[in-house]
Amino acid sequence: MDKRIDFDTAAMFASDYSRTSKPVIETDGLTKQFGTVAALDDVDICIREGEFVAIMGPSGSGKTTLLNILSCLDTPSAGTYRLDGLDVSTLTEPERAVIRREKIGLVFQQFHLIPYLTALENVMLAQHYHSVADADEAMEILQSVGLSARASHLPSQLSGGEQQRVCIARALVNEPAIILADEPTGNLDEENEKLIIELLQRLHEDGRTIALVTHNPEMGALADRTIRLRHGKLDG
Amino acid sequence: MYLRMIRQSFFEGRKRKALAAITVALAAALITTLLNLSVDVGDKMAKEMKAYGSNIRVVPKSENIPLKIGGVDFNPLKGRDYLDEAELTKIKDIFWSNNIVGLAPFLDVPVEIAGKDAGRVSLIGTYFRKSMPLPSDEEYRTGVRITHPYWQVTGAWPDDESASEVLIGRSLARRLGVAAGDTIGVTRPTEGSGGSAEASYRITGILATGEAEDNAIVAPLGAVQALAGLQGKVQSVSVSALTIPENELSRKAIRDQDSLSTSEYDVWYCSAFVSSIAHQIEEAVINASARPVWQVAAGEGVVIGKLQVLMLVVTLAAFASAAMGVSSLMNTAVMERAREIGLMKALGAAEWQIHLLFLTEAVIIGVVGGILGFLAGSGLSQAVGWAVFGSSLAFHWIAVPVVIAVSVATALAGSILPARSITRLMPVEVLYGR
Ligand SMILES: Nc1ncnc2c1ncn2[C@@H]1O[C@H](COP(=O)(O)OP(=O)(O)OP(=O)(O)O)[C@@H](O)[C@H]1O
Ligand SMILES: [Mg+2]
Repeated sequence: MDKRIDFDTAAMFASDYSRTSKPVIETDGLTKQFGTVAALDDVDICIREGEFVAIMGPSGSGKTTLLNILSCLDTPSAGTYRLDGLDVSTLTEPERAVIRREKIGLVFQQFHLIPYLTALENVMLAQHYHSVADADEAMEILQSVGLSARASHLPSQLSGGEQQRVCIARALVNEPAIILADEPTGNLDEENEKLIIELLQRLHEDGRTIALVTHNPEMGALADRTIRLRHGKLDG
Repeated sequence: MYLRMIRQSFFEGRKRKALAAITVALAAALITTLLNLSVDVGDKMAKEMKAYGSNIRVVPKSENIPLKIGGVDFNPLKGRDYLDEAELTKIKDIFWSNNIVGLAPFLDVPVEIAGKDAGRVSLIGTYFRKSMPLPSDEEYRTGVRITHPYWQVTGAWPDDESASEVLIGRSLARRLGVAAGDTIGVTRPTEGSGGSAEASYRITGILATGEAEDNAIVAPLGAVQALAGLQGKVQSVSVSALTIPENELSRKAIRDQDSLSTSEYDVWYCSAFVSSIAHQIEEAVINASARPVWQVAAGEGVVIGKLQVLMLVVTLAAFASAAMGVSSLMNTAVMERAREIGLMKALGAAEWQIHLLFLTEAVIIGVVGGILGFLAGSGLSQAVGWAVFGSSLAFHWIAVPVVIAVSVATALAGSILPARSITRLMPVEVLYGR
């Protein structure tokens, strides 16, 4: 119970902090059309530096679609998206790849670690595509997620929670402008879920900007605020 | 990091990679075999093709361009130069006498067929397989049956000592309506002052050569000499000699014998080039001019050229099918590793960085397949060499880089389509398991 209170205090503190900082993500009339289905319909959101935002909503409401566009993995059908002050909604795929490696840290529900690379090497891979692989730096990041003892293990030798922590370390290693996570605990048991929640909370305290898709109200409550989606529209 | 990834992923999907390498290896083996063969086939074929005709023709020095129309020699008999039949034994007495496989003299006389309006036909006198006296007293039998092994006779060969047995060319036989066992009479129109020699011959067999002899009568040399009144004379001699392929030295000798230095001349003279053997025959036989029959050599060249084109086509087909095999295997690899590729893209990897990874694997597959294929192909070409030519093929180092380069090119060509699926792959489509 102590912990809950701690989290709430931290959340309040971060919430105050966010009002004064510059926007990292700004969308205006963001729309995504899949054939006749409007997965996103005129979505305006703003996420400021240091903010921890939860994106919630029923299944099929467009959460993943939104996160994909925010990650520059997908493009909107209409509307604009400014990331760190730059309009990225009209960039070509190679240009978006550059944005992804410079500004975005991705955390996946299914971890997506490369099976034949060790935990350390999986982190170094992100460094490699960003600039230069640096084993010491990668090791430091692994240490910060509590996995220094597991650095030379292959993903198949790690538990789900450990794999997710490697995934988070990989997302952090290049100091991205924002960390985007789609149901990061969806594949984990309660205990591991707790560990991940604590980790995200700590990152938030360190001043990282985080957008998190979740079905878990407890996790949503940790965030500074919650963006709710319903049928592709902002709800409330 | 890149090297680390290559190394770490080396054993990923090893079954598939092994299959791809084997595909490349099979093509490489075929290419190695054909390459070895096509380098060697020239020499081997030349040796084989000696069986299909004589390669030196000996004529009198004064022999001008033969005036032959439709296979009939229209040069007047009178005032012509002849070689002495007695000189022929000297051909078997030259430095390279052991390389002289056979020889056959020819005397070609125009005749008319008694009782038929067939016009002038050639009556050719030659040795079939006649015993020739040699200085060494060895028994030596020679004639067209050795120098012209492709002559085919339906019936029996005439006896060389007979004065009345002949072969008749198959076209002439058809024209005259005669068969083996029939008798024909010939008359020899004598030039200038009248009179004519006549003879009656019994046909022992029908001759098929595919050449002028199909329209001629071929008789023992003695019989023709008697009819023409040219005892002991021959017009030309065909010689079959085992020769080694021409090289730079022999070509120089053919261009200008005087340009050779003394030592070069010695080397040339003591090598079994067709040109040096011809030269020695000229030295040995009085009044003789010996010329290599280049048509035989040229014919060999044409056949070998066609064979090499055929091999090239087979090679290209092997190359193409291997590339297709690699392509489908690589495509499977790209499918299997779609998530991995999607992740790399999501992490912001440049397109070329992902391609480099797969192309490196293709190169490794190409090199491994190439080496395996080369080893297998070298073995195979030796087997083919023994089976086809009854001798081993020389080992050609040049084939090593060529085969490996071709194998790598095959693997890379097979990667073109898979590379396009990499480009088309969208991370959103693979990262969420849709
Ligand atoms: N590639 C696509 N092609 C067609 N329709 C799609 C595609 N991606 C998403 N959709 C549709 O868009 C809508 C929103 O999907 P999305 O995945 O964003 O929902 P979600 O909120 O993430 O759901 P969940 O909570 O189940 O993950 C759904 O109706 C889905 O069927
Ligand atoms: Mg979703």
